[in-house]
Amino acid sequence: VSLAVLGAGAFGTALADVVATRGEAVHLWCETQEQVDEILATRTNERRLPGVKLHAKIVPTTSLADIARAARLLLLAVPSTRLPDALRPLGDVVDGSHMIVHASGALTADEGKRVSELVRLETPVRRVGVLAGPALARDLAERRPCAVVIASPFDDVVATTRSALLTEGTLRVYGSHDLVGTELSAVLCGSFTVALGLADALGVGTGPRAVLVCRAIAEGTRLCVAAGGNERTFSGLAGLGNLLVRAASASAERSDDYRLGSELAKGPAPRHTEGARAAAVAVKLARRLGVRTPILDAIAGVVFQNVPVKQAAKRLAEIGAEEE
Amino acid sequence: MPATDRSDRRPIQEAENRLASFNRERNSIIAEVERRVLAGRLDAAGAGGDASIEYVLNDVAFQEIRRLERGPASEGEKKRLPEWRDLARRLGTMSDDERRRRLSEQVGRYARDIAGSFSMRVFRFATSLLPSLLSGILAPASLLQGVRHVGDLSGKVIVDGPTDHIRACADRGTLVVVPTHSSNMDSVVIGWSMHRAGLPPVTYGAGKNLFTNPLISYFMHNLGAYRVDRRLGNLLYKDVLKAYSTVLLERGFHSLFFPGGTRSRSGSVEKRVKLGLLGTALNAYADNLRRGEVQRRIYVIPATINYGIVLEAETLIDDFLAEEGKHRYIIEDDEFSRLGRVLDFTRRILSMEGALHIRYGAPLDLFGNKVDEAGDSHDARGRLVDPATYMIGPDGQVAADPQRDAEYTKSLGDEIVREFRRLTVFMPTHLVARAIFDRVAKATGTRDVYMMLRTYEGTEIPAADVCADLLRIRDTLAQRPGMGELPERFQRMRPSDMLDDALLMFRGYHTRPVVEKQGERLLVRDMRLVYYYQNRTAHIPPEVLS
Repeated sequence: VSLAVLGAGAFGTALADVVATRGEAVHLWCETQEQVDEILATRTNERRLPGVKLHAKIVPTTSLADIARAARLLLLAVPSTRLPDALRPLGDVVDGSHMIVHASGALTADEGKRVSELVRLETPVRRVGVLAGPALARDLAERRPCAVVIASPFDDVVATTRSALLTEGTLRVYGSHDLVGTELSAVLCGSFTVALGLADALGVGTGPRAVLVCRAIAEGTRLCVAAGGNERTFSGLAGLGNLLVRAASASAERSDDYRLGSELAKGPAPRHTEGARAAAVAVKLARRLGVRTPILDAIAGVVFQNVPVKQAAKRLAEIGAEEE
Repeated sequence: MPATDRSDRRPIQEAENRLASFNRERNSIIAEVERRVLAGRLDAAGAGGDASIEYVLNDVAFQEIRRLERGPASEGEKKRLPEWRDLARRLGTMSDDERRRRLSEQVGRYARDIAGSFSMRVFRFATSLLPSLLSGILAPASLLQGVRHVGDLSGKVIVDGPTDHIRACADRGTLVVVPTHSSNMDSVVIGWSMHRAGLPPVTYGAGKNLFTNPLISYFMHNLGAYRVDRRLGNLLYKDVLKAYSTVLLERGFHSLFFPGGTRSRSGSVEKRVKLGLLGTALNAYADNLRRGEVQRRIYVIPATINYGIVLEAETLIDDFLAEEGKHRYIIEDDEFSRLGRVLDFTRRILSMEGALHIRYGAPLDLFGNKVDEAGDSHDARGRLVDPATYMIGPDGQVAADPQRDAEYTKSLGDEIVREFRRLTVFMPTHLVARAIFDRVAKATGTRDVYMMLRTYEGTEIPAADVCADLLRIRDTLAQRPGMGELPERFQRMRPSDMLDDALLMFRGYHTRPVVEKQGERLLVRDMRLVYYYQNRTAHIPPEVLS
């Protein structure tokens, strides 16, 4: 099955570039004609993936209809804030034979819907999956070994995505049936990355930092399981793997969520990142499911309710260990 | 309920009765079922192991021996015990040909046991007799006046929903009606309601235990019902049952499944559905597509059957509350088996206006999409969708994929559950029971029903408080149409009148009144049944109503 990537951001472009090395054309949907022109003229996407020469097999286009005609496996790498705008017109050109795999770590702000639910709502497609894991755009572009997980209840989505993405030496693709758990893990690790950025900026030390990571794993697992996910999913690539890479010293400066955490140590939130927004929605989901989420509560409180960092940290520390 | 037609607004165009041709096709249906099951099993046997014919026959023999040794069985069935033991003993030394012969015989036996029949004479008799019989139960004098009083039932039993839309789909494809299931009366009620709404008769699988009463058996057997022996758990029997249902649907016979599998023991609307028989609809659609019959579509019609009181409520809730290990999958000694109770119940429910309400939902395709009156599918944003595209495999061709299709069916099951909630029609008994249950829960500090059953004795609740709760619940429901609806009549009623209606329904049929009014206070007499009736609202979380 041919593959197309929707979204010429850093991750989408890097992924298309890796897959193109297999020698088959990979269609890449760009939001602007300027991006298409740049890729065609210079084989670069300087604004999103500076310094990388893109493979000749990448076929850039702004036409969703062309994308839908060219490929049945559509990999959605559009920024979460623009997802609804991209999905509705996509729904006009796809049908039940398409498969949509998204790489988003977001929940809708109003009802806390997962992206797979949004896909079902906005398009006729039923075969949906999520791609998640510690694969950074720069690592993919520089051909460092990366691993991701494709999760879908449909075997054919898992098998087709694995066979379409597998590139020897660069990308290893694991399969899972746990769509709910994998989507939530990807969402929550963004929020926990904010917490780790904040903890590092406050200089809490390696011991307390490790405790925070472990508590995040426990909290993420609790919420995933309550929402219908698998107990082991958060400890895998989509959860822990993602969290470690986003908050690692070598790559942290590239993570929006981690940078927000650092900034929170100095004062009120100057902006809202995907991970911060996810914390606010996940807290509501946790209430509905009756799950305790002290770290997410703390992040949502600091970012959206101006709760002082010290007060949030104190509250987090006061929770009895036996309650976790 | 917006955009629906009350079926009692005549005239109603009759849909084509495809079952009329069933008996002509019966033998070829059985032969086709035998052929498919045998071909499937012989094909799978090539892999050996659990799929080998020896293993399959051993599974049949083992389960039959265990059932006949331990469970209730007829004398005829027990006589076959030596035969099963002999089969189990000899399987290891049998030749392949002998095993194939035994497999073929067993498949044929199952298929013939399952297959129903349809008699136009019995159908006409039943459809003209039943309403006047029910009217007679309600007011015996009307029997003397003949069938002119059939219409009397229309005010007592309400049938609504987009029945014109459903009938249009019945003309274009095959219907699979999927109702909620609370009572053994359901098959009679839904059959009658479909006839009343001008919908075509359907074939359906009925528990073999329901065929033990000769009169009921006669009608069921001649009205298209096929027999499902739920005591038989072996894989071969399930294969035959599914193949039978698939062949019926492929040939365009409208069908009915109770997707909950069995009557709701707790009284709640089904939270999940069984996928076995529901999956046969997708199998049939895929088979038709592979034969190039792309326009032979299958439509799923969710429906809810809503009773003010339920015939078997006491038996069902007792079973639900029974200690672990004492639940019964098949209940044969309940109120349905006692004619006096059935008559009492029928008289009672038909004496109260609107205490039986059947609500049909709009047709869905097998992928959960809405279907328009032309039989075409539309996605959640209203775009036209060709359902055949969902069956296309990675190679671009319509392809069989059992795992994919099982996921589609699971997803359809989730959609049916959402529809069940939306189509639930609440009765005063449900809302009064919910108000009382919430008050008792608050007073006792627990929602654990076992704790409440131990402590509720003597609980008295001011009637005014319950009326205030009813008002609040009614307002909440009006704002959340996805959770169900109060019928129009109760939406306008004063809460005190609604309470009186519920108390009327609660006394007279059950062994003791569920709740009684003493002065200005309500006295809980049977907490089990308060729990049972409030469970119809169990999908509404307490915080939504508080």
